[in-house]
Amino acid sequence: MIEKTYLSAGRSAPLRIRVNGRETELDVPPSKRLLHVLRDDLGLTGTKRSCEIGRCGACMVLVDGEPVNSCLAMAYQCQSKSVTTIEGLSEDGMTLVQQCFLDEGGYQCGYCTPGMIVSVTALLANDPSPADTDIQEALSGNLCRCTGYGGILRAVKKAIELKREQTG
Amino acid sequence: MLLNRETSGGRWRIRPDGTGKVTGKLAYLTDLSLPNMLIGRVLRSPHPHAYIRRIDVSKALAMPGVHAALTAKDVPGLNRFGIARPDYPVFCEDRVRFIGDAVAAVGAETAELAELALAAIEVEYEPLPVVDDPERAILDDAPLLYPEGNVFHRNEFKFGDIEAGFAAAAHIVEETYSTPRQMHTYMETEGGLFVPGEDGRLTAYSPTQHGFMDRMQLSRILAKPEAEIRVVSSPIGGSFGGKDELNVQPYGALLALATGRPVKLHNSRWESVRAGLKRHPMKIRMKTGVDADGRLVAHRAYVVADKGPYSTLGAEVLNFATEHVVGPYRYGAVDVDTVSAYTNNGMSGEFRGFGGNQAIFALEGQLDRLAALLGMDPWELRRRNLRQAEDPGPLGQPISVTGGAGQVWESLAGSALWGRRSDPALRSSSTAPWLLCGIGSAYVMHGAGLGVGIPDPAGGRLELRADGKIEAAFGYEEFGQGLIASLTQMLVEMFGFAERDIVVTIGDTDVVPDSGSTTASRATSMMWQSLRRMRGPFGGKLLEAASVALGKPADALALGEGGIRAAENGRLLMNYASLAASLAASSAQPIRTQTRFSYPTSPVDRVGAHYMYSYAAVAVEVEVNTLTGRVRVTDQYHAVAAGPVINPQGYLGQIEGGSSMALGFALTEDAVMDGGHYVTKNLDTYLVPTIVEQSGGVTVDAIEELPEGDEHGPRGIGELGSVGLAPAIAEAVYQATGKRVSKLPIDPALLQERFRFD
Ligand code: FES
Ligand code: FES
Repeated sequence: MIEKTYLSAGRSAPLRIRVNGRETELDVPPSKRLLHVLRDDLGLTGTKRSCEIGRCGACMVLVDGEPVNSCLAMAYQCQSKSVTTIEGLSEDGMTLVQQCFLDEGGYQCGYCTPGMIVSVTALLANDPSPADTDIQEALSGNLCRCTGYGGILRAVKKAIELKREQTG
Repeated sequence: MLLNRETSGGRWRIRPDGTGKVTGKLAYLTDLSLPNMLIGRVLRSPHPHAYIRRIDVSKALAMPGVHAALTAKDVPGLNRFGIARPDYPVFCEDRVRFIGDAVAAVGAETAELAELALAAIEVEYEPLPVVDDPERAILDDAPLLYPEGNVFHRNEFKFGDIEAGFAAAAHIVEETYSTPRQMHTYMETEGGLFVPGEDGRLTAYSPTQHGFMDRMQLSRILAKPEAEIRVVSSPIGGSFGGKDELNVQPYGALLALATGRPVKLHNSRWESVRAGLKRHPMKIRMKTGVDADGRLVAHRAYVVADKGPYSTLGAEVLNFATEHVVGPYRYGAVDVDTVSAYTNNGMSGEFRGFGGNQAIFALEGQLDRLAALLGMDPWELRRRNLRQAEDPGPLGQPISVTGGAGQVWESLAGSALWGRRSDPALRSSSTAPWLLCGIGSAYVMHGAGLGVGIPDPAGGRLELRADGKIEAAFGYEEFGQGLIASLTQMLVEMFGFAERDIVVTIGDTDVVPDSGSTTASRATSMMWQSLRRMRGPFGGKLLEAASVALGKPADALALGEGGIRAAENGRLLMNYASLAASLAASSAQPIRTQTRFSYPTSPVDRVGAHYMYSYAAVAVEVEVNTLTGRVRVTDQYHAVAAGPVINPQGYLGQIEGGSSMALGFALTEDAVMDGGHYVTKNLDTYLVPTIVEQSGGVTVDAIEELPEGDEHGPRGIGELGSVGLAPAIAEAVYQATGKRVSKLPIDPALLQERFRFD
C-alpha cells in the first residue's frame, strides 16, 4: 500500500526500509527506483541492472518475501517494508540454492545469477517441490543469455531433491 | 562421451569464480564506483543519416555540476577507432551515419544532471536520404554514405566449371535465405569506471575481449603513451563478440582526463541497443545442383551483408561467410560471390559464430531441399558429399587433419533422437491434431582462430610467486565462458598442482602478457598450447630449485598438490611457499617461464582461411502449433568433435548456451529497424529465449578422439554450439508441416493453419 505521507512529503521525509535485516533511513526521492536505491545509495551491487523495464529479472529482490523486480518498484512503495537482496539470503556462507547453483554450474557470466537465485529462493519457499511447469512459470521472468538454462534447471532440481532429503 | 556431471566424475569442478557469482559478492566493472566520481553520458544522433551543421555545448557547460561537455574538437589524438580499420568516429565532426553515432559527451555530478546537460546541447542537423537496404545500397543510383561508394568489402571463391555442373545436374534447388539482426544481449550492458591517477596515468575499468587492443586504441585517441594507460577488463557480464570493439571507453577516458575526476558510464539497455553491434543481417541466394546419385555437382552462392556505417570486423565476417557457405562438402564446381554494403542501419559486427551462422543456415537448407527432391534421407545425402579427413579445407587450403567430420556424422546417425524419425507416432497427436512434430538435423564445420593474414598472437606466463603461489598470467578475458576454470583445471591436470596452489591473473594490462584476443574460439586452445610449451621448462626449474633446497636429485622429485613430493611415493617434501622462501634466501632468480607463439595457420595466401576446425552435428525435434504458428523445441542432440574436453562443465555450458542463442536466432530474435531507426528498443520486444522455450532436453556427445600425434589439442567450442540448431529447426519444421523456412526468425504466420473443429 502507498504510504501517502512519504509520497506527498517529497524529500523531506526519509525512506524507512529494512534491507537484509538492517533498519535503514535514507533521504531519497519517493520515485527513485529501488534498484538504484540498493545499488547507488546502499552499495548493494549484487542486485543487477539490465533492462530497467521489468523484463529480465536481473534486479530481482524479495520485498516482504515476495519476488519483485526492483527496477519497477519505487522507493515510496517500499516504505516500511523488508527487502532481501542476494547479499542477504544467507548470513554467512551460502544457502542450499546457492550451493546447488555452484555445484551444477547454473551460471556462466553470473550477471543474471543473483536475480535468478532470488527467484528460485522465492519459488521454493512457497512450494518445496514445484512441478516442472511451476519452475518454468516462476523463472520465466529471469533471462539468462549464457547458459541456455540447462545448468539452472539442474541446480533447481538438485535443490528440490536436497530439500526433500533434509526435511524428509 | 555423453557429457554431463555424472560422466565427468571428478573432472566436474566448481568454478574458482563461482562463489562470488552466486553470492552477488563479485564486483563487475559496472558495479564499481568512487566517492567523487562523475557520471558520463553520450549524446547520440537522432537521425540515421545527416550532416551536422552546428554543435553548441555552451549551455550544458554553464550548468552547475556539469564538468565537461566534449565534442570532436576535444579529442587530442585520432578521433576514430576500430580493431581492423579505425573508421568509427569517437565523435562525429560533420556527418552522422547511424542513430548510434556520438556527437558529444558530458560528465556531471549526478545522472539526472548529466541527462539535463545532454538535453541542453544544441545540435543542428540536415537530414540526408537514408540507405536502409543493403541490396539497394550497392545499386548505381543509391545515395552514398562515402564518396568511394557503398561497397564496403567483396570476396569470392570459385573453382570448376559451374555451368557445366548445373547442366549435368539431375536436380537443382534455388533459394534465397535471410537472417535477422540478432543482438548479443549480454545481460550486463556496456560501461565502466575511468580513473585518472595522480601520476598522470589513466585506468579504464571496462569490459573488452582484448585489453591490449583497447589500450592501443585508447592511446591513439588520447594521444597518450600506452604505458600511461591501464585497462582492467574482467570480469564481464557476457560479451559474445559484442564488447570486442571499443564502446564506452573513449568517452569515459576523455571525460576523466578532461575533468581530472573518475567518470562512470553504464549504458541503459536502449543505448546499448542503439549503439551496440549486432549480427550482420545477410541475404544469401543459393543455387545448388546434384546428380541422380546425390553428388553435389555445382554450388553457387551470393551473399549480401548489411554492414551498417563503419567497418568493425565486417570484412573478416564476410570472409568467414565466404568460407562457410562452401562448408564441409565436396562439389564439382563452386562459384561464390559475397559483398558487404554500407547502410545507415545499426552497426553490424563480430558475434559468436562470426558469419558462419548465416552461411550454414543457407547451406544446410540447400542440402535438405535437395534431399527432398532426390527422395533421399537428408543425412545420407550429407554422407555422400562429406569431406574426408585428408581433404583440404573449404577454400582448398591445407587444414589440420581430424576425423571430426565423420565422427559427428556417425554419432548423430546413431542417436535415439534421430532414430525416432521413423516412428509413425511422431508426427501428430490424435488428441491435439493441430500440434505437428518433426525432426531435422544440420551439419557444422566451423573454423577457429583469426585465419591467414591476421596477426594472431598467443602466449602466457607461469611464475612461482614469493608467497608460494603458482601464478598463471594470461591476457585473456573472463566473460562467463569459464576461462579461469579451464585454466585452473589444466594447471591441476597437467602439472599436478592443487587448486589452492594456483592464482590466475587475467584482464589487467599492467600485469598480464599479451596473449592475443579472447575471440574466435581460440583462448582455450591457446592456453593449452601455452601450458604444454611451458610445462617442461617451468616444471624443470621448480624441480631443480627443489633439488638444490632439499639436496636430493631432481629426478627423485615430482610436482604435486601443495608442493614438491617424492617421486616414488608422493610424500610431501616441501611446500611451494618454502620453495619460494629458499629461493629468496639464496637470492636466486625467481622461477618464471613465458611463452609466445601464434595461432597455427594454413600455409596459403588467402586472407582469413582457417587451419583448425571443429565439427558438430545437431538433431532437433520440434512441435509446431498450427493454430498459433509457434514452434517449440522439444529435444536436441549435439554431437561435437573438437578434441579433448578441457573443462566438462564449461564445454556443456558452451553447447547448451550457444544453442540457446541459435534457438532465438531461429524463432524470436530480431532487432527490427525501420528507415534506420530501431523499432525494438528493449527486452520487451527483443525476445531472447526464456526457460520456457528452453524446456526440452539437450544431449551433448563430446567426441574427444584426435588422430595419433595430433599437436593441436582442444579445438574451439565457444561458437560452434550457436550455429547448427537454426537450420536443424528449419528442417524439423518442414518435416512437421511440409513448409519450407527460408527466413529467420520464423514468422508464425507462415505456419498457421485454418482449423476446423467439428
Ligand atoms: S533490470 Fe529489472 S527486470 Fe530487468
Ligand atoms: S550466466 Fe550470464 S546471463 Fe546468466
